[in-house]
Amino acid sequence: MAGKTFLGIMQRQAFRKLIANSRERLYRMAYAWTHDTHLADDLVQQTLCKALSNRRQLRDPGAAEAWLFRIMSNCLKDYHRAKREILTDQELIVIDTQTPDRETHKQQLVLKVRQAVRKLPLAQCQVITLVDLEGFTYATVAEVLEIPVGTVMSRLCRGRQALKEHLIDVSPRSQGARATTLTRVK
Amino acid sequence: MNKDRHYSEEQLNAFVDGELDPEERSRLYNEAEHSEDLDRRLCQQRKLKELVRHAYDEVPPPRNSARGPLPRSTFFGRILAAGVLLTLGLSAGLVTHRFIDEAAIGSDAQPVAAIDNYILHVASGEPAQMRAALEKARSLLDSAPAGRPRQVEIVANEKGIDLLRSDVTPFAREIRALADSDVVFYACSRTIQRLEERGVEVRIVPEAIVEYTALDRVVMRMQEGWNYTKI
Repeated sequence: MAGKTFLGIMQRQAFRKLIANSRERLYRMAYAWTHDTHLADDLVQQTLCKALSNRRQLRDPGAAEAWLFRIMSNCLKDYHRAKREILTDQELIVIDTQTPDRETHKQQLVLKVRQAVRKLPLAQCQVITLVDLEGFTYATVAEVLEIPVGTVMSRLCRGRQALKEHLIDVSPRSQGARATTLTRVK
Repeated sequence: MNKDRHYSEEQLNAFVDGELDPEERSRLYNEAEHSEDLDRRLCQQRKLKELVRHAYDEVPPPRNSARGPLPRSTFFGRILAAGVLLTLGLSAGLVTHRFIDEAAIGSDAQPVAAIDNYILHVASGEPAQMRAALEKARSLLDSAPAGRPRQVEIVANEKGIDLLRSDVTPFAREIRALADSDVVFYACSRTIQRLEERGVEVRIVPEAIVEYTALDRVVMRMQEGWNYTKI
């Protein structure tokens, strides 16, 4: 009985740690999906709240991260279902220019990339950001979004194709030194 | 020069995303060595990936995230400090629920089984919903077992904040009566803040406390094993 209690406490602590450690990452992802700080904050809180209330559904601790991101993706679906909201490009620009940063080249690049990501259909945006920001495997992304791996690949492909059309000339070109260019982007 | 054409975009993506097995990966590396075009395409894919990562290295923090001292555990403290709120449209998430078991998560030492208190959450501006919340609170008080008084709180946010706006609420008298019966009312500080940002002057009934966001309060009470009900 004591062992069981001890195990229970360990599980709770592990769960609490998981949520605490995931918060910033969830927020970054929520921001990448919405480009709205308020909404991103809401999504994260909603996700954490749901995770707390549904923690018993988490059977495999190894799948915990995917589980959290899946909850957040579902929260966003609920949000869109409720709002039926389609933001226009104009609104997009308003949101992006709210960043009070100075117009340095780096910031211009960041804004431009974010605008291009924002213009993607949400389904493509989610796949790209889960792969690129979180480094999730295609299988994990499929699990998070509850879609087949083949769909992950095709969405990734179409999304990147669209981004390429918008962005590939954005960053400084360094003819004849491609590898260096790649390094400098970071 | 065009010998890389049989590599699809999917394959190039799989390459830059580390999804190819070592053998395929080596093959592609080798071919890229001899194909300028393939090399360029791979470079573009990587560049794109880096651009996306770079664009979200630093994201703007939640606005108005600075908060006062936090009354609960470190974890929840951090959550609360981040500025918690439920916006319109996100209401689908927090459905009526009992959170007794989950309450132990935030506070290992809390005995939760015996707690029979309720936090009611009003997010709707519909007077019928507001009335339902007030009636529910009354009924919970009345149905408490003898000798075991039950604590009830009502937290209002989103459009439900109108319940606690002194110049808007149609239920001032009922609120006063419930407050006299020890029901505690909380007006969501974030909702108020957002209304004020939009130029709305917000006056809250004196019975209500404006200290937390709605979700802050809900989470706190969940920690303590209270029952949560969204009206």
